[in-house]
Amino acid sequence: MSAGTYASLVDLAAGLLLLSAVLVVWRRDLRAATRLLAVQGAALGAIPVLAGIRARDAHLLVVGAAVIALRAVVFPRLVAARLRGAPSHDREGAPVVNTATSLLVTALLVTAAYALGGSLVHAGPSSSARAAPVGFALVLVGVFLLATRRHALSQVVALLLLDNGIDAVAFLASHGVPPVVELGASLDVLLAIVILGVLAGRMHEKFGGTDLDDLRELHE
Amino acid sequence: MSAGAPDARDAPATSGRRHERAALAAGIATSLLGAAGVALGVVAVASGVGPVRVGGALPLAGVTLAAGATGGLFLLLTGAVAVAVGAYSAGYERHGSTGPAQLAAVPFFVAAMLLVPLAGSATTFLAAWELMALASLVAILADHARAAVRDAARWYAVMTHLGFVAILLAFVVLGAAGHADALAVLERRAGSLSSSSRDVVFLLSFLGFGAKAGLVPLHVWLPRAHPEAPSPVSALMSAAMVATGVYGIVRIDVEVLGGGPRWWALVVVLAGATSALFGVIQASVSTDLKRLLAYSTTENMGLVTLALGSSMLLADYGERSLATVALVAALVHVVAHAAFKSLAFLGAGAVLFATGLRDLDLLGGLATRMPATTGLFFVAALGASGLPLGAGFVGEWLLVQSLIHSRPGTGTLLALVMPVAVGVVALTTGLGVAAMVKASGIAFLARPRSAEAARAHEVPAAMVAPMATLAAASAVLAVAPSALAPALGRLARELPGHPGSFPQLGLLLRLPGVAGSVSPGLLAVGVVAASGGVVALRALVGRSRRPRGTRAPLWSGGAGALTERMQYTATSFAEPLQRVFDDVLRPDVDVEVGHVEESRYLVERVRYRSRIGDVVEERVFSRVLDGVHAWASLVRRVHNGSVHRYLAIGALALVAAVAVAR
Amino acid sequence: MTLSGAAGAVVQVAAVAAGSPMLVGWMRQVRARLEGRAGAGALQPYRELRKLAGKQDVTPEGTTAVFSLAPALVAGVMLVCAAVVPTVTVASPLDSIADLFVVVGLLLVATVALVLAALDTGTPFGGIGASRETTIAALVEPAILVAVYSLSIRASSSNLAAIVRATERRPGDVLTPAGALAFAALVVVIVAETGRLPVDNPATHLELTMVHEAMVLEYSGSRLAILEWAAAMRLAVLVGLLANLYLPAGVAGPRSGPVGIVLGVLAIAAKVAVLAGALAAAEVFVAKLRLFRVPELLAGSYLLGLLAVTAAYFLGPRRA
Repeated sequence: MSAGTYASLVDLAAGLLLLSAVLVVWRRDLRAATRLLAVQGAALGAIPVLAGIRARDAHLLVVGAAVIALRAVVFPRLVAARLRGAPSHDREGAPVVNTATSLLVTALLVTAAYALGGSLVHAGPSSSARAAPVGFALVLVGVFLLATRRHALSQVVALLLLDNGIDAVAFLASHGVPPVVELGASLDVLLAIVILGVLAGRMHEKFGGTDLDDLRELHE
Repeated sequence: MSAGAPDARDAPATSGRRHERAALAAGIATSLLGAAGVALGVVAVASGVGPVRVGGALPLAGVTLAAGATGGLFLLLTGAVAVAVGAYSAGYERHGSTGPAQLAAVPFFVAAMLLVPLAGSATTFLAAWELMALASLVAILADHARAAVRDAARWYAVMTHLGFVAILLAFVVLGAAGHADALAVLERRAGSLSSSSRDVVFLLSFLGFGAKAGLVPLHVWLPRAHPEAPSPVSALMSAAMVATGVYGIVRIDVEVLGGGPRWWALVVVLAGATSALFGVIQASVSTDLKRLLAYSTTENMGLVTLALGSSMLLADYGERSLATVALVAALVHVVAHAAFKSLAFLGAGAVLFATGLRDLDLLGGLATRMPATTGLFFVAALGASGLPLGAGFVGEWLLVQSLIHSRPGTGTLLALVMPVAVGVVALTTGLGVAAMVKASGIAFLARPRSAEAARAHEVPAAMVAPMATLAAASAVLAVAPSALAPALGRLARELPGHPGSFPQLGLLLRLPGVAGSVSPGLLAVGVVAASGGVVALRALVGRSRRPRGTRAPLWSGGAGALTERMQYTATSFAEPLQRVFDDVLRPDVDVEVGHVEESRYLVERVRYRSRIGDVVEERVFSRVLDGVHAWASLVRRVHNGSVHRYLAIGALALVAAVAVAR
Repeated sequence: MTLSGAAGAVVQVAAVAAGSPMLVGWMRQVRARLEGRAGAGALQPYRELRKLAGKQDVTPEGTTAVFSLAPALVAGVMLVCAAVVPTVTVASPLDSIADLFVVVGLLLVATVALVLAALDTGTPFGGIGASRETTIAALVEPAILVAVYSLSIRASSSNLAAIVRATERRPGDVLTPAGALAFAALVVVIVAETGRLPVDNPATHLELTMVHEAMVLEYSGSRLAILEWAAAMRLAVLVGLLANLYLPAGVAGPRSGPVGIVLGVLAIAAKVAVLAGALAAAEVFVAKLRLFRVPELLAGSYLLGLLAVTAAYFLGPRRA
């Protein structure tokens, strides 16, 4: 694979990451969000796979395969399974701020990510490092979604987005993290999903909804 | 919004013939001064004027007159507007109740506006600036019996004087640091000033000039003063006076200071973008015709300022030819704005003259009653909306071109600012179209929404002719912007940091270093020819089968007889936009549903009331005013009326002054 | 200016003028088949235009010249756009008088003419349509201009022929993130500009939902025929533009002979048919959006355009 092809494929994967993040903000339907997460996971996994093919490094290929398996298949499936049980009103993202404003905020966050990320990646002159701000953008958008979504399941989606962003920075800025660390991080996320999922299920049984605003009442 | 109260027509003609003569004299004086301004402007652009020193005119400093191409362009602009407005006002004020002092203030106002670009020294500039403020203040107070007018004048007086103080301080700092009074000398020495004093001069002068140009948040006087002033005065203020604010920014911040650090450019870009968006959003929901035009002025000055800021930013990044394009965009737009906005205000004045109304919700159906005014206002509205074939298009196209052509890799900041700026310009254009469609469509088309509008007649030819002249000027600027090329070419060469390569404004508009061109003139020809072709096609195709055309009542989906009250009003037309921009506008909407006594389920009547104020005025300035008030009441405790105490305070102040000055 | 270019320009205007009703018919037919109906055939719009052209002209009472002149202006503007937009040839002599910004502005001029005509009638329906159309047109503007911006970066020019030629030279560039994001943004914008689902439904006559149809409600006879034809041309020009911006293969150049021009016509017809068929097929699956959710759609499109611009600066092929 030539350097030019490699660079443009990595760019395409980065563009896909960004596009899927924007669409997650745009769409209210959580089922659509899980499908988008699957696409995002595949794009994320493609980055180490591409690097592995280029550098003929089996290590990276394994990492890529693991990422794809976990993030494109397992995590979205888990969330989707939770959604199937949930009543229809829980399947919406239910943002606190309206969608048009969310989109404009996303625009600002992405812009900010480019402005900040630009200075951070000067260390890595590789062609993929230029795309690292995309990872920052994903992290910022994930945090924004965490802050503005009401339902527990939409929070899970936001968390996954955020984690994808962290991984994307790692893959793009350097050549990824050691497989053990990646595995550990992914297991953490898996645990979080399971716990949140169980919690959401219990909440649903007890209170008939997973609106986080209602949680405040538990405190009182 | 209540019905717009008339400023001139309803009051009984006071002392008949004398008033008529006074109005005629004031109009002629205004036009003659304008003609003198145009002549001076031509000379200044061609070869420069002065410096001429008139020693005795002002104590201590004297008056120095000098103008280069920059001053010349603004002299031309102000003079041309004044010629048309003077001729118009002679007809407009003939039946008015405007007092002699207010009539006499108008020529003084024009003279002062001409003196500002002619000023060659800081003191002359300040004197002209203050004279302009005072004369316009008197001219606004034509109908001072009404509280709204007095209120508007008070806001205007306070804002304009705060601006004056800022400019005064800026000149004090500049003059003290540069040890000179003449602007030409200051221009040479400005480079050696310390960076902190340059920053202070920039901030203060931008504040003062921004207030005059109607930039947010210092625009609050504009939507009050423009509607309440007599229409010829509104036209002068909106077309020429706000342009002096732009002149100030170009002359002092760009020319004398010669640009500065990057954050200056960002401040200017931000102020311009905010003003453009805020102004156009307010304009798109305004229901008072002149208030709408006033907000549109804020919008257009915002675009001009955005262009100036982009020019500074691009120059800072070394994109010199693009910086020139942005600067030319700003100047072209200032000139075009003067043409179409003065025309629009004179058109609004004609509507006011004929109906006594400014409220769009009560107008309508004027197209059949006042065809000439309608046609001329449409020309102005086309210009103000920034569409192709209109006067505002060339400036906006140049601005967008300067924004999109910075090369990748020039700078992160540039790559982030430019797409947002393009979005701002685009949204401004889109909403500007909405505002102008509302102004022209609701006021002039369909059926009258009130008895006054139904009784309207065309205004006299003495008022139509000046408007037609301005419309012709707008049309020339729209299809042949090359008319401005000589003046702009000289100007761009005079300004620091701009190279010789200059946008070609011939039949094809071409930009230096950019592949691409447009031709507004050929475009207009093409659209007219194609539309004519379609008309011919319609006459030919199917003619043999088609019965003769007929007129019939409106169909409207088969609904019964349509009344005037079933038409869309300006409020209902803008309702979707009001909802979309709810967070910015914070409208005060009240829906009252009255039920029939017998049943809660039957609605007897629904009353909908909405009022959209100015968020900046209501949220920011009310707090500021409260603060000032609190401070004043604190100070008032010292003022207990005792002469001894006042003398003691005076003595203390003297001691303090001596101690400081020692 | 070459002779071939001039001939190409004439041909592309003629092709758009004559072929656009067929495009509308084709899209209706695709929809009909996918919805399980037989459909009226792709040629139905021609029959409708012929019928309307033969009907008596009825001018509603109380309307002015704005109402009677608007259709001609709308159609005239579309013809000028058809001459400028490189559907058949990139060598149109008119290319240098208008760039993509002007084309966008001209489309807005046509919209404004129709809105004013709708207000001129003074009917509630005219007001509804005018108000909604103005809102949408105002909010489309940032999205469309930023999309244009991102397209013009590749060619360092906003003139259409330059952009299409740049794509011809480097077809791979459209597969960059910037190209893909701009494509998504453009599709949304074109759907909004041509009044298709989910922004407006060309097949509806319900007060709650109609936008364009409400504005033309008072028109009849040959004026209505001209408006319908102009709407079809708008669709054809925009879809043709999208096709050639991303896949310029087959478009005639400055030195193409008659064969090249004929090939250009065939190529654009094929591309537009495929693209329009895909749009029509997608329409089967979407419902019309509430008017107050349209801003979300357009904000999304603006965001995509913005991302396309930043991606072109930060990702994209690196050039010296």
